[in-house]
Amino acid sequence: MDTIRLYLHSMRMLIRSQLQYPVSFFMQTLAQLVMEGGEMMAVILLVDRFEHLNQWGAGDLYFFFGLMSVTFYLTECFGRGITGNFPYLVRTGQLDTFLVRPRGVLTQAMCSAVDPRRITCIAVGVVALIIGSRLAAIEWTAVKVLLMAEAILCGSILILGLFMIEAIFSIYSVKSIELVNALTYGGRSACEYPIDTFPRPLRVLFTVLAPFALTLHVPGAWILGKPLFGWPEWAVWVSPVSGIVFFWVIWICFQKAMKHYRSTGS
Amino acid sequence: MKAYLSAFRMRRKMELQYRGAVLGGVICQVFFGLILVAIYRAMYAGKPQEIPLSHITSYVWLQQAFFRMLLASDPELMDKIRTGSIAYDLCRPLDLYGFYYVRIMAQKMTGSLLRAVPMLVIAFLLPEGWGLMLPASPTGFVWSLAGLFLGLLCVSALENITMGFTMRTLDFRGMQALLNLLMMILSGNILPLTLFPDSWQRVITLLPYAQLLDAPIRLYTGDTPSSAVPGILLIQFFWILLLTGAGILFWRANQKRLEIQGG
Amino acid sequence: MSYICVRELEKRFVIREKRKKGALLREKKTVRALQKVSFDVEQGELLGYIGPNGAGKSTTVKILSGILTPDGGEVTVGGRVPWQERREHVRQIGVVFGQRTQLWWDVPIRDSYDLLRDIYRISPEDYRTRLSELTEALQLGDLMRTPLRQLSLGQRMRAELCGSLLHRPELLFLDEPTIGLDAVSKLALREFLQWENKRQGTTILLTTHDMEDIVALCPRVMVLGHGRKLFDGSLAALLGRYDTVRTVTVSYEEAEAVPELPSAIPVIREGKNLMITYCPDEYATAELIARLQAAGTVRELTVQPQNVDRLVAAMYREMDL
Repeated sequence: MDTIRLYLHSMRMLIRSQLQYPVSFFMQTLAQLVMEGGEMMAVILLVDRFEHLNQWGAGDLYFFFGLMSVTFYLTECFGRGITGNFPYLVRTGQLDTFLVRPRGVLTQAMCSAVDPRRITCIAVGVVALIIGSRLAAIEWTAVKVLLMAEAILCGSILILGLFMIEAIFSIYSVKSIELVNALTYGGRSACEYPIDTFPRPLRVLFTVLAPFALTLHVPGAWILGKPLFGWPEWAVWVSPVSGIVFFWVIWICFQKAMKHYRSTGS
Repeated sequence: MKAYLSAFRMRRKMELQYRGAVLGGVICQVFFGLILVAIYRAMYAGKPQEIPLSHITSYVWLQQAFFRMLLASDPELMDKIRTGSIAYDLCRPLDLYGFYYVRIMAQKMTGSLLRAVPMLVIAFLLPEGWGLMLPASPTGFVWSLAGLFLGLLCVSALENITMGFTMRTLDFRGMQALLNLLMMILSGNILPLTLFPDSWQRVITLLPYAQLLDAPIRLYTGDTPSSAVPGILLIQFFWILLLTGAGILFWRANQKRLEIQGG
Repeated sequence: MSYICVRELEKRFVIREKRKKGALLREKKTVRALQKVSFDVEQGELLGYIGPNGAGKSTTVKILSGILTPDGGEVTVGGRVPWQERREHVRQIGVVFGQRTQLWWDVPIRDSYDLLRDIYRISPEDYRTRLSELTEALQLGDLMRTPLRQLSLGQRMRAELCGSLLHRPELLFLDEPTIGLDAVSKLALREFLQWENKRQGTTILLTTHDMEDIVALCPRVMVLGHGRKLFDGSLAALLGRYDTVRTVTVSYEEAEAVPELPSAIPVIREGKNLMITYCPDEYATAELIARLQAAGTVRELTVQPQNVDRLVAAMYREMDL
């Protein structure tokens, strides 16, 4: 599809222009690597001290951490255009420029920003997945790999939906972006750990409202061969779809927001 | 002296203008705090530790409440550098080091106090095993306040050096980002230092990063007994003197360089 | 049916004013940006669109390009309603904003054009032809490898034009394109626009504050004021009807040249140069020029119309708005 070609082309150009400032690029990449490394180190130290969390052992915890890391930073790598960059697009009137081109606004927004520095964070996540997989002695089958791919993909779409909320807020000039950040980044920090760690209100929040648990933890638990938090076996393939449903709901809100933008101007 | 005070007051005014963002920020931090506490509670349930759970939860809440003090962020500065109006600052007949020192301190204090108070109130009101404990002892509490202030001086000095680097390289993102995450990791924000392996703790607590929050928090919870206070103060004073001295030298060199370049 | 058909176009904006002391909410004020504006444009026309700030020019352009949805009235461009069929409509138009750029800042402009080719789905052969055509016409050959941020304002405008015309739009909107440009660049730009209009048959709608743009380019002018259409016709008619004041600048060989003029006419002298402001209704231009020529050896003589704002103000006075 030529949308993908457009995206790849934009990505190449953005990376080329970012590499024009190599020192800054390197420093920021390093900073992010250290940051994510620090998060992983926290998990390692906790596991070292506490050895297990409820029925989850060290390998399980690394696996969940890796799953969330890879999913989240994959989204951050490609989806910056509709979150961090979007307020800038609105402010500078770049959104109008998008409207004058025969492409979707979301497509162009996503093409406008790519964050290749996140590759380091994704790498850390992959390392965590490998370590977790070894320690938890996962017996990998093609089915399990497929399920993991589905979980990561649907999780990405979920997070993309959360990112889109920021875009919607910036169109309506809502200032309280921090609340949404709580959901997005709080969700990330929380759901690095299996959902049964948390008391009921938080469990409900991350299952019903921002369904991290359904997209990542249920499939994750199945791959680890552990109980599925009370969900039936067949739900394993279906629960990640909740991420897509979430995205779809937010997408509708985004269309509404664009309608509003086009009737009130900038 | 007057110049410093007015700079201080101006900063304070600006911070207070962001009132709307504060409420959102507080809710955000409380949310994070609840998540972290839930994780540690679950971990403790499996394997209780020497350090009581209430110390850890208090650690978490105090860290979240004073989170703003950790970060180096001056959005104005970024714009100034980008537009080049930083040159005006450099031309002012003020002692630049002192000016920025006060500015950094004011930012940290006003930014955090505004959020800390409501957060701490909420933390106190949480049920047993979830929230902030009362100080271990009255003297411990007093020393923790002293420790907090000294820690603030220490980290402001540290950040001032970074600011100097930023001026020099005009790259505001790189160095500050690095400093921020070193702060977050090594001051116990991501994981309480009290949960680090003991051998690691012995080294990390000596570093300047740990002085801002970890040191005062330990005094508050009693993890550091009052008898160990002189040692703590020594470490803090050492870093303050070292970093301030290094900072002044660095800025002097910077200023000379800029004067030669012509700005 | 005309190419562009605008009927009774209306647009209102609600703005929140600054909070007054003691008031709980900010007051809302409704600004009528466009009030029942109607006009037609045929394909291939070169139309100038003038008016003071806030007159509704940008609003019209935004609605015609499909960015903004109006509150009332009808618009069709090439048979389509711009904001309803955005993507199909937008494929046929090009837009150049004077203040904003649609090219990428940090990369060579050639790369920007390559990306635009993908965005507009231009075929490779068509792209090659069109790009070389525009490169030559706009003299961008040496600049292709230069990033936009390193170009001067004049060069940037040429680069913008190229970018906006790559996909061979039928209709081109230009919003204050000559702002900030030096004289040479302005001339080159106008020449190019004429070439594009004559050779490609591109319909061009030019919004400007600069009367010289209009004089040089536009056989047809529309004047907007306070959201209303005040004038729609030829430039000659506009000048004839509303241009009530002229300024003549004359340069003499001799320093002592003193023309014989009625005392009511103000004359500003600076050495050998004189500037005379007069009203052609009251004093015939021919007569004035004759007198000026009689006073000495004329090196140079120019007659200038007044600027747009005064023109529109004069128009208001006449329409009693």
